[in-house]
Amino acid sequence: MKSSKETGLYIILSIIITGSILLGFVVQGVNSTLKGLIALQTRPARLITDYTALEGVGAALVNSGLVAALGLGVVKLSKVILSGPTIAGILTMMGFALFGKTLLNCIPIMIGVYLSAKVANKPFAAYLLMALFGTALGPLVTFLVFQSGLNGSLAMSLGVLAGIGTGFCLPPIAISMLHLHQGYNLYNIGFSCGFFGLFVASLFTAAKINLDIKVIWNTEPSLALILYIPALSGFLILCSILMGHKKAFLDFLSIQKLPGRLPSDFVDQLSAEGTLLNMGLLGLSGSVYVYVTKGDFNGPVLGGLLTLIGFGSFGKHLKNCWPVVTGVVLSCFTFGKNLAAPGPILAALFGTTLAPLAGQFGVTIGIAAGFVHLFMVERTAAWHGGLDLYNNGFSGGLTAALFVALIEWYRTTRQTLS
Amino acid sequence: MKEYILHLIGEIARYILDGDPSRMVISLHREQDGIHLAILDNNPRSEKEIESIRSALNPERRPELSEYYGIMAGHDLLGSSRLNLVGWQVKHAEVSRTQEGTKIDLWLGGENFDSSVFSIPKERTGT
Repeated sequence: MKSSKETGLYIILSIIITGSILLGFVVQGVNSTLKGLIALQTRPARLITDYTALEGVGAALVNSGLVAALGLGVVKLSKVILSGPTIAGILTMMGFALFGKTLLNCIPIMIGVYLSAKVANKPFAAYLLMALFGTALGPLVTFLVFQSGLNGSLAMSLGVLAGIGTGFCLPPIAISMLHLHQGYNLYNIGFSCGFFGLFVASLFTAAKINLDIKVIWNTEPSLALILYIPALSGFLILCSILMGHKKAFLDFLSIQKLPGRLPSDFVDQLSAEGTLLNMGLLGLSGSVYVYVTKGDFNGPVLGGLLTLIGFGSFGKHLKNCWPVVTGVVLSCFTFGKNLAAPGPILAALFGTTLAPLAGQFGVTIGIAAGFVHLFMVERTAAWHGGLDLYNNGFSGGLTAALFVALIEWYRTTRQTLS
Repeated sequence: MKEYILHLIGEIARYILDGDPSRMVISLHREQDGIHLAILDNNPRSEKEIESIRSALNPERRPELSEYYGIMAGHDLLGSSRLNLVGWQVKHAEVSRTQEGTKIDLWLGGENFDSSVFSIPKERTGT
């Protein structure tokens, strides 16, 4: 039976998803949006393809809402409670559906994860998070179906089968990858997908299939896109206040004391009220960062902000995020990079995948991790040919693994010596 | 099963050792349909601390977290110990105060766990 807290979260997410779909139709018109939405399913999905620059803002927003609705529906069907991890999964799917995920490329991967659960004789609920986040490899499906040069039904079959196969392989990889960074990289599936993507990209390279990275980036975002995240954040803050402003504030303060290491379900550990306030304030802070750095509020940036908000229920908070962002900014200054350029701005937003390092080991480690993350993430996309949408999760996993190894060695050595 | 038990023991032992006790006893008993694990220390704890251990070890059922992240229990030990990783994987947990410290009882069993065939105190399980 659902608790009133969970019902409240269902209502809030439903409002956000419906609002996104309605906004899409309003800004682009029904016919044009529907045409654009259908066209989006066939367009390239590898990094970085900004859907708001391809078929219009409306089509991108409706695609985003529909993919999030798919995630919410799968959570409901699997009978897993709607809480921190599932909220993070749904909002991450929603964000990435502005630049890479579509219904068409998400569903085969989810089916693959479902089959994997069946083979392992486990309920689908046990692998639900892998199904939600695993859609990061959706571009593989789109690429094989529409960009591989194969024709009609053969391309469709191959793409769908590849998606199912990918989903099938993900759970064991994801479980194994956790040990490398010990839960200090929040986007563990991104790390796993990047690892898997290395093999796929190498296979394509061997078959002389071109996987060069192209950047399609909307440099003139509309007012609707600029106001989208501040309005969404304001809505979340309002909800938290309406649910109980004193509890929301006190629990928000308590959340700031948690390290945020995987798995940290803030809704379960503290409360829905405090978590919503944390999510809203993270969204607002992220928006201020984008505004101050003169970044573009386009599909990928909104994706970063939505993911930041989503993980505000599952590991991220202001106190463990700011050191990582500071590290990314320092790295940009050191290497003469423009903070508003695609790589750096996405690294600042998504780099908060390393927030648990700052939460557990302090500000200095957090800044150092952010610093390293920037130059790593600019390198790693080419390794998997942009097939893993969570490239920051891949890079973050490598960075976290490095830091965990060094910290573990240092602590063990010091303990042995003392 | 052996590795699974070792990981759970590792995580809970780490939690106990974080409290810097001068004595820790881990006792394992095979029961009719699973395992009973008892961990004792001589570290005095407040009622609030005991309640917090109790709630961490008796969480709501979370299959999406236990199957995926539960693997980290007793394995990935850099950072704070995490009793919830243990709690998601045990069938029942009891925390009680002893003369000099705390006793944690954990019962591990299969999918068709039946508390009546375990040595769980009846008044606790409500049976």
